[in-house]
Amino acid sequence: MSTAEPKNAQTVRYRIVVAEDAYLVREGIRQVLAQEDEVEVVEFCSDLSSLLQAVDRHEPDVVVTDIRMPPSNTDEGIRAAASLRASRPEMGVVVISQYVSPHYAIKLFEDGSARRAYLLKEHIGHRNHLMGAIREVASGGSVVDPAVVEVLVESRTRAKNSPLAHLTPREREVLAGVAEGKSNAAIAKSLFLTKRAVEKNINSIFAKLDLADDTDVSRRVVASLMFLAETGVPVQSVSS
Amino acid sequence: MTSRTPVPEDSTVLDEPAALDEPVAFDAVPWTVSARELRADHEVGSQLRPLRLAARRPTASELTIVVAAVAAAAAAAAVVLAGGIAASPDGFAFILALYILVCVVAGLAWRRARPWSPYGLALVAYGLAVSLYALGTTTQPLVHSLGVLLQIPGAFFVFWLVLSFPSARLDSAGRAVIALAGAVLLVGCLPAVFLVDSLSPTQPLARCAARCPANPLQIGDSESLARLFGHVDAVGHAVVYGLILTLLAVRFARASRPRRRLLGPVYLFAALLFVSMPVYQVGVNLFGASPVASSPAGFALTATTILFPFGFIAAIVFAYAYVGAALASMVREIGVSASVTGVERVVRQVLDDPKAQLAFWLPRSRRYVDRHGRGVVLDEEDTSTWRSFEGDDGEPMLAIVHDAALDEDPELMDAVGAETMLALENRRLQEDLLDSITALRASRKRLVAVAAAERRKIERDLHDSAQQLLIAIRIQLELARGEVGPASKLERQLDRIAADLDRALDELRSVAHGIYPPLLAEEGLAAALTEAARRVSVPVELELEDVGRLPEEIETAVYYCCLEALQNATKHGGSDVVVTMRLWWEPHLLRFSVSDDGVGFVPGQSPEPTGLTNMLDRIGAIGGRVSIRSAPGRGTDVDGAVTVSP
Repeated sequence: MSTAEPKNAQTVRYRIVVAEDAYLVREGIRQVLAQEDEVEVVEFCSDLSSLLQAVDRHEPDVVVTDIRMPPSNTDEGIRAAASLRASRPEMGVVVISQYVSPHYAIKLFEDGSARRAYLLKEHIGHRNHLMGAIREVASGGSVVDPAVVEVLVESRTRAKNSPLAHLTPREREVLAGVAEGKSNAAIAKSLFLTKRAVEKNINSIFAKLDLADDTDVSRRVVASLMFLAETGVPVQSVSS
Repeated sequence: MTSRTPVPEDSTVLDEPAALDEPVAFDAVPWTVSARELRADHEVGSQLRPLRLAARRPTASELTIVVAAVAAAAAAAAVVLAGGIAASPDGFAFILALYILVCVVAGLAWRRARPWSPYGLALVAYGLAVSLYALGTTTQPLVHSLGVLLQIPGAFFVFWLVLSFPSARLDSAGRAVIALAGAVLLVGCLPAVFLVDSLSPTQPLARCAARCPANPLQIGDSESLARLFGHVDAVGHAVVYGLILTLLAVRFARASRPRRRLLGPVYLFAALLFVSMPVYQVGVNLFGASPVASSPAGFALTATTILFPFGFIAAIVFAYAYVGAALASMVREIGVSASVTGVERVVRQVLDDPKAQLAFWLPRSRRYVDRHGRGVVLDEEDTSTWRSFEGDDGEPMLAIVHDAALDEDPELMDAVGAETMLALENRRLQEDLLDSITALRASRKRLVAVAAAERRKIERDLHDSAQQLLIAIRIQLELARGEVGPASKLERQLDRIAADLDRALDELRSVAHGIYPPLLAEEGLAAALTEAARRVSVPVELELEDVGRLPEEIETAVYYCCLEALQNATKHGGSDVVVTMRLWWEPHLLRFSVSDDGVGFVPGQSPEPTGLTNMLDRIGAIGGRVSIRSAPGRGTDVDGAVTVSP
């Protein structure tokens, strides 16, 4: 597909492949990223297979992909992320989506949240929104669009058969603190625990939620998402 | 088809079963049409009502025959009375007239029952011919002698009538016996005719004895020779009658039960006659027994002669009576066994023919097949072992392959055939109904599937066009915002536009999701219902089993049914309502429920929450069921189940 104008090799820190099937949105992304000196878009694609070919060709640092593209127009972006998780664990993936449904974000993080970001498309024009996510995934972190978290926060559903059911009451309290975006120290303080006890609880939570392998930051994001998805306890924000 | 009236004594043998007169089970128009068709088919069967046969108006030819018979009987009686030489002119005139009339009536009855058979007309002809016996009681010598000699062809006619009954065809044994009778005639009777000085009718009441006129045919007067031939004749007759009786006994023993029923009365009365006749002749000729009608042998012969033609009438009456009984049992049996095999079994039972077979006509390939679908070849030339039955349109429907004996039982075959057609036709109609119900369900399912596909298409179009366009504008707007100076008037304006655009995007997202939730197609029921629950403003407790992926029409129907229930609870449940949504498996059954603790409503009373019929329609279209229970202050329970074939 088309490539962006070459940039000064000295300043470029992130080589990026973009996949987006809607032309106007693709142009928007091009303009947003053209402003950034750190970024070079090596190829623009418009479907899943051309995305995977471009990745093979350029070995980019980060992939920015639409969630819904040809051929099936369902969740190609998430599938691309899953397949890259296996083939290129060091590559960052930013999935841009029009769905605020937390289901997709949770699904994206299902096989590990490190180097993954879930952003709503309409927000990628915001200054530093897309760029921030690119930097975060490139450095091993995770990002969830605040609008998605907001859905969870506002939702008043409660699931009875959730993995959180296995948590002890103390672990749930600690997880609630995590979901509120508190640091371990802040949680320890609010629950009158030692920082060490909080860390022990958190490790136990990660184990029970099957989140053993990721970085601490991304594990906290996913655990928070799960907590919110299942309990709907209002918090401020989880976006990093 | 559960209650069928048994055959009553009157003419309404195959009348309409009471159950079909009640349209209560059939409320929609196509069903009543079917009920009428059922009735029409019953009429086909009713055309064959056997006992109504006697009530049919006489035809011109029948009237002619009756008039001729009455005239012949009257003339014969008059001749007997005028001759005056009979042992008892009054008695003989009476029994001769009676005999003639009974024979003709029996012949007419046979003709009505079996118009195609010559047997009826043969009986009529015999009856009319018998009137010539009167000539044997006249005084004119030649006429008298010829009249007496008419007994010879008369006896052969009787042999033929009995031996060829009921087909009017003689088999080889019958022909042999008649040939033997002919031989006896040649060596015994005929020579005697030319040697005796007077001839007398055999009938005890007709005998002329001393009053007989001289025999003009006499050519010799050897009394001993005449007696010898007379003895030969008497013994020969006894042998012939003995053979005939043996033949009848063998035939009767070998006959199937329906056949025996037909043969029985005729053979019985014929046997009585064929016993009393040689006993009388041998007794009188050889042993000098008294020939008068009041002697035991004379009385027996007179009585059996009069009884003889009643055998034919009895046979017909018995045949019809049996058909009625057979139909009654058939109607009863077929009522409980609806399968083709069951119908065939009942037919075999009723026909008393364990090898009887039903052959079904295939109109398109124009051939018969049995109940296994194997071809059945029917000999067009020889129809004695099968009988075909036509439907209303004259097209064959069915053939019954049967024992050759049943060819002589047309009343039974017609009745059984009609009843079988009726049973099969009813079965077919039932199958048609099931077919159309299945077709209806399938088309309803298709319509739902088409509607779902249409919704998905609209959602996709919205996503591809409007949503992407608005998103692109939103990105451009944000880029433009970066270009203008902070806190400028333009930036404030752009902020307002951005806020409007965000609302537009939210609205559009919500509309698109309402039209078709992409999660449903991508992830299935549990995910889509979770998402739907997140979008409503009231607390929803979810107990959603991961039911996996199901056929699209089931997922769509259950999703929208639950969504409808959820929205009803949100809209009408009141401010503090809590909804519980459940989805779980039971064996082969997908179960779902949406319950709330809201204000509830009175089922059946307006204002009912809208969408109740929507729920019923959606789940009904996929063959599932939904119950909606509610009461004021008691919340609402929507409970559904859909069969999912494994």
